[in-house]
Amino acid sequence: MLVSFNWLREFVPFEGEAQELGDRLTMLGLELDSIEDPFESVQDIVVGHVVECEKHPEAEKLSVCKVDVGSEVLEIVCGAPNVGKGQKVPVAKVGVTMPDGLKIKKAKLRGVKSFGMICSERELGFSEDHDGIWVLPENLSVGDKLVDALNLERTVLDFDITPNRADALSILGFARETALAFDLPLTMPELNLVEAGGDAASEVKIVIDDAELCPLYQSRIIRDVATGKAPDWMRYKLLALGQRPISNIVDVTNYIMFELGQPLHSFDLDLIEGGMIRVASAEDGMKFTTLDNMERTLTAKDLLIWDGKKPVGLAGVMGGVNSEMHAGSRNVLLEAAVFRPGTIRKTARRLALPSDASYRFERGVDQVMNTFALNRAAQLMAETSGGSVVSGIAKAEPKPWRDRTHRYRHARCMKLLGLDLEPAFAKRVFELEGCKVDDSDPADWKVATPSYKLDLEREVDLYEEVGRVYGLDRIPAVLPHVSKSLEGGAVTADTEYGFVRSLKRWGMGAGLNEAINYSFVGDDDLDRLNLPGEGRVRIANPLSEDQNVMRTDIAAGLLNTLKHNLAQGNNHVRVFEVAKKFIEDRDSDTETREQLRLGVLLYGSRHAAEWPWPQEDVDYLDIKGHVEHLLEGHFKFCAPECVMVEEHPYLSPCVEVKLGDERVGVMGQVKSDIADFYHARKDVWLADMDAEKLWEMDRGHRVTFCCLPKFPPSRRDITVIGSLAIHAQQVYDAIAEIKSPLLESVEMVAEYVPEGVEDERNLSFRLTYRHASKTLKDKEVDKQHKRVVDELLKKLPIRI
Amino acid sequence: MSDELKTFLEGLDSLARECEACKGQAASLKELEEIRVEYLGRKGKLAQNMQTLAKLPNELKPEAGRKANEVKQAITAMIDAWQDELNKAAAAASLSRFDPSMPGRKPGVGSLHPVTLAMDEICEVLVGLGFEHATGPEVENDWHNFEALNIPQEHPARDMQDTLYVSENIVLRTHTSPVQIRSMLNKKPPLAVIAPGKVYRRDSDLTHTPMFHQIEGLLVDREVSMGDLRGTLTAFVRQLFGQKTDVRFRPSFFPFTEPSAEVDISCVMCGGEGKNQDGSTCRVCKGTGWVEILGCGMVDPNVFKSVGYDPELYTGFAFGLGVERVAMLKYGIGDLRMFFENDVRFLEQFA
Repeated sequence: MLVSFNWLREFVPFEGEAQELGDRLTMLGLELDSIEDPFESVQDIVVGHVVECEKHPEAEKLSVCKVDVGSEVLEIVCGAPNVGKGQKVPVAKVGVTMPDGLKIKKAKLRGVKSFGMICSERELGFSEDHDGIWVLPENLSVGDKLVDALNLERTVLDFDITPNRADALSILGFARETALAFDLPLTMPELNLVEAGGDAASEVKIVIDDAELCPLYQSRIIRDVATGKAPDWMRYKLLALGQRPISNIVDVTNYIMFELGQPLHSFDLDLIEGGMIRVASAEDGMKFTTLDNMERTLTAKDLLIWDGKKPVGLAGVMGGVNSEMHAGSRNVLLEAAVFRPGTIRKTARRLALPSDASYRFERGVDQVMNTFALNRAAQLMAETSGGSVVSGIAKAEPKPWRDRTHRYRHARCMKLLGLDLEPAFAKRVFELEGCKVDDSDPADWKVATPSYKLDLEREVDLYEEVGRVYGLDRIPAVLPHVSKSLEGGAVTADTEYGFVRSLKRWGMGAGLNEAINYSFVGDDDLDRLNLPGEGRVRIANPLSEDQNVMRTDIAAGLLNTLKHNLAQGNNHVRVFEVAKKFIEDRDSDTETREQLRLGVLLYGSRHAAEWPWPQEDVDYLDIKGHVEHLLEGHFKFCAPECVMVEEHPYLSPCVEVKLGDERVGVMGQVKSDIADFYHARKDVWLADMDAEKLWEMDRGHRVTFCCLPKFPPSRRDITVIGSLAIHAQQVYDAIAEIKSPLLESVEMVAEYVPEGVEDERNLSFRLTYRHASKTLKDKEVDKQHKRVVDELLKKLPIRI
Repeated sequence: MSDELKTFLEGLDSLARECEACKGQAASLKELEEIRVEYLGRKGKLAQNMQTLAKLPNELKPEAGRKANEVKQAITAMIDAWQDELNKAAAAASLSRFDPSMPGRKPGVGSLHPVTLAMDEICEVLVGLGFEHATGPEVENDWHNFEALNIPQEHPARDMQDTLYVSENIVLRTHTSPVQIRSMLNKKPPLAVIAPGKVYRRDSDLTHTPMFHQIEGLLVDREVSMGDLRGTLTAFVRQLFGQKTDVRFRPSFFPFTEPSAEVDISCVMCGGEGKNQDGSTCRVCKGTGWVEILGCGMVDPNVFKSVGYDPELYTGFAFGLGVERVAMLKYGIGDLRMFFENDVRFLEQFA
């Protein structure tokens, strides 16, 4: 919301600096964004006087002028047809930058030197007028800056307005806040409406179908207007607010909207048929052409302004092309109405037609101010167009404004704010804001709120006013005495947050970098991973097609992370992410099942790419090692069972990770054709763990202490020679099945493939034997070990 | 002294001299060991001498024995000393080859995302103040995300947050505030919860990403006041940004709180001066000395009504802050988009 500083001061005698005003209003809830000079782009333009003007000797259309700019007389070649001796004109001297960015330089035009430029209104951004140079009023002083000579506004404050502050969408609204903040009087503009006879009410009948949708609609008629330019003062004030002047009639409606907050609309009265205006809903599917010449398809929820025969305007949003004011229009039907905010908002949103008018209507306008706004607009319209105002108002007000009355309990307000103020302070605040206070019951007041404070809907809103005006920043800070029960309070570690945190700390400890990817990806990303199309949670209004679906698999994000890093030349990527995946679920109240996952992605060299680490790339044992480290090292679960899975959408090989009967994740290598897409030149290893399952198991898991062994172990190594088809797990399982009472543990110590052998390998295992209560003798161990070896040979087609 | 004894003692002396003469002959520990065996071994020279001792008359044995022991100790000491020298020389030789500047074998260094770090820090402070963790879904329904929070359809407040929709009734939550609703529906007052998590908006430019992180705080009890809110948040930001941090409450508007306030803290970059030490305008606070850090307010009675709390009986406060904003301030990260590109050179900087 732009607030012109001088315009504001027409209402309230504020003498301080703009910054001071902005700072104070910020602390009242109207946040100052910036202070701008709206005419900064023309600040170097000066007023010149054309003292000589001759035809160019070589070019018929050019004139050679001598222009007095105060400090000197410049020779300027000008191409405008209307330039002439004696004129006051705006001049851009050499070195000046024009609003469009063009820098004025010395020039030579057909052999004549030119030291500057005489400007048109369009070149300076004052209008579309480019027929010739801008001839300024004669009384301006030569050499003055144009902005000073025309007394242009130099200070405009830009405020961010929160949606509750409908009252702050006008200069008047800001004047009220300024008066409140600095205890200044408020002066309303004087109304000098001259009525020229006749009876507007009998010329146009106003009919409102639904009082809820339109509590008030009133119109005045202005006859015999001449459409043209609005007066300079009005145009300059609109320009300062960034509003391009259009015509006297339109400019007046905009002027009143900015000044008083009431949007208005002008119909060409001669295009209104049947002598009536009716406010009624549209019909489903009907077409209507708005004055931007766009045909709109309407619904029964849109509100229309009709004349006796046809719709003529989309209420509160935009007029119709069929009743629009045009250059030859003579008679105006001026509308001032109040519409139901939600209706206007819906229509403006659906048709993507936000306007200054709909912005105000959808926040709510001041129904009581409406008549003043209508009258002031009619007066200005008549004054600026030479027209005359027909007596009387054509009006329907099926639902007149009634001040809303709320109770106010001062003691309760003080408790809520944490303040201890005299009741008199609250009373004064309410009265300054235009409320009527009945404090006959000191503990329970009745406060009637004015029509322009639409945000005062309930008692608590009155509390806010007291706090806001006193200063929320002056409330003493105290720490709450919370009567929160200590019993049953969740310890962070027991919460999902605590569990996620422990997972993340594991990841960091394991030397991985934590990544956070967007929860959405593109359908393409999921298709590429061969993930099912059904069950996806799609975004109806995505920002882009690569962010149109919630990821159904954590890999989709991690692979994007890989791609980005490879593009940056980072070839050593070890990342993890703890995040949700999303699957459609009609039974959920959010229609979505969210599952917490832990993803790990390893790519490139196993170690940092520097000596003395060997240059080796990660392989299956690395991803598996991380999974084992998580399950056995971090969670202290037992060793997982790792089972090959034949089919997986994007992993091959793919290995399912199981703890007992529970499937807790998968791991494997990203299929090479998929990896190619992400520009991976090496194998990509990925694990996708079900974090929720892990959490559930972790909650049921208790770590119990085992006594340290008192007696020494004896170790025996065996090397199993067998086909590649015999998996290590089979050897482990076979040994375990033997159930040797003394055998404590088995671990692999070497894998060796003899040179020249293709289908066999040697796997060496170390078997540790121990007795709980005595030191084993060699003989006893040898006997046990022989039994193990013999049994093993029987169980598996191997050699030892 | 008998001749026998004399000969024996002279034998010992010459043995000692002979051994002494070996000084410097052993170039290695192995050679020295050979010398040791030669003199002190089971079949060594001293042992041979001792065989003669056995043949001496008994009355001479004590003195002979004493002498033999002296010589044995002398030789042992000598050889031990040589061994020391050899050890020292070996250590010195080895040290001369030692290069302390060779690169180390560094284990891979893991890291936590700066958002995680900031979130942990914030949560830790709030848990310390007595808040408990709560969570809720990221895909939410309209009622929890808007309606129950006093943001009806058609209300302009819906424009405050550009929403990503799944369907007419389902949205990606635009704030962590729906967790307030879920928590209050789950539990009767008093309650004090925080809800950290991801939130989504239909907004992407230099200063907005379509996904970011928020932390929501909610405290409901009888007679909670705005002063309590100020106290809690002041304590909170001071623990987070330092005891000298100033806090400013500005009236604002959120549909689910009334009154509502924006909280500014004195700029952490320039200390609230608005200027850098060289006099230039502070980039972080744009010269104002204040940085907007969170939004807060007293829970709106309509919110209480939608969860079945009696607004005449209970009051409460709620606040929410953006985690990325805190991380940017804490680490001096200038570009929001870096958070979700996951460049490992970026990620590795935080642990």
